[in-house]
Amino acid sequence: MKYVDEFRDPELGRVLASEIVNLVEPGRHYKLMEVCGGHTHSIYKFGIDDLLPENVELVHGPGCPVCVIPMGRVDDGIAMAHQPDVIFTCFGDMMRIPGSDGSLLDAKAEGADIRMVYSPLDALRIAKENPDRDVVFFAIGFETTAPSTALTLKRARMEGVENFFCMCNHVTIVPPLRALLDSPDMRLDGFVGPGHVSTVVGARPFEFIPSEYEKPIVVAGFEPLDVLQAVEMILRQIAEGRCEVENQYKRVVPYEGNQRALEVLAEVFELRPHFEWRGLGFISQSGLKISEAYAEFDAERKYSVPGVRVADPKACQCGEVLKGVIKPFECKVFGTACTPERPIGTCMVSSEGACAAYYNYGRFAREREVV
Amino acid sequence: MRVEDPTALRCEPEHGCITCGDEAIALRVVTVDESGLALCEDELGRHTTIEVALIGPVAPGDGLLAHAGTAIAQLPREEVPA
Repeated sequence: MKYVDEFRDPELGRVLASEIVNLVEPGRHYKLMEVCGGHTHSIYKFGIDDLLPENVELVHGPGCPVCVIPMGRVDDGIAMAHQPDVIFTCFGDMMRIPGSDGSLLDAKAEGADIRMVYSPLDALRIAKENPDRDVVFFAIGFETTAPSTALTLKRARMEGVENFFCMCNHVTIVPPLRALLDSPDMRLDGFVGPGHVSTVVGARPFEFIPSEYEKPIVVAGFEPLDVLQAVEMILRQIAEGRCEVENQYKRVVPYEGNQRALEVLAEVFELRPHFEWRGLGFISQSGLKISEAYAEFDAERKYSVPGVRVADPKACQCGEVLKGVIKPFECKVFGTACTPERPIGTCMVSSEGACAAYYNYGRFAREREVV
Repeated sequence: MRVEDPTALRCEPEHGCITCGDEAIALRVVTVDESGLALCEDELGRHTTIEVALIGPVAPGDGLLAHAGTAIAQLPREEVPA
């Protein structure tokens, strides 16, 4: 299949793996973070880590959109879903994220009208089909997803839809990376940069990583050879004493991003002073809210919600997993009390979550043997 | 009125949600309406409606990369799903 086969060629993979071996210094440990959950998924699906030397470690970053949603926001969404005459809409994985007293899926089972959508446009269509009900869309995701929400609000205004509201939980990618780099328990040698987020924001916003923290970053695609080549490019920078932003995913990512998307984001959203990230705590200017210009669509202005910060369950170590401090199998409840069927933590819900990726591709058994 | 394919792309928690996963998909444009929505087809022939306002004018046969119902990038001709 075009667009796939050339990025899954085993022979090219072997060539890249051997180049990687030549680039690493024996005795030195390299710790690289793949920022995006899509990369985590590819790494375990295709066994990319098995092709790397033992002293090159891949750790998983915070780039899984549902994994970073704190429990309090789930509770707020459930409170809205229980309001009379509300149809509450959200993406599929989000329905299974546990709040302090169950998930949206549990609330649906209790009678709340909660519907799964593939896109904000689907939610708007539901609003148009139900003019006597209020339809709330639970918006999540990074800059990849936020433009879709923004365009849908613009379309709602253009079409005069007055019963469509958005509970905005969109987040931005740069502040958590800065928080990770400032964290004293992190020692990273480089980053595999997010691919699809970068189609919107471009590669330029990551320039602070080499300029301020002297770490290389390579924006990468999601096929196995994309990820392997990005690792090779990072290690080559280190070997040659360079430190810069490189774009492995040039076939899709323009260095300057998508200007139209950035303009729409600036029109419809504004930065929150703080936003809570699961496992990372409150990060300044890392979350988006609906701007004054689009206030009539803001579900948080229409409905009062608990707005209470809820601590994660004590047994759950998603925070350490999201910061790359521990591997999923090192969490005490991984694969026992916490499974994809009955998740305790967010990282076990989405297929892009590090714990789910480990679990689904057999890393549970293999890593346990090593331990 | 646009008629959606019953097998159109959906967010399926049982099989992993492509939207929650920050995943983008390659699609081919089938038709475009005057409001900026395009009916698109994936490589398996499944249809879905996509907002194309972020990538400028598109025509039937063009390829795009879509996420959450919105095209976020255009694809080179050789990478358009057949």
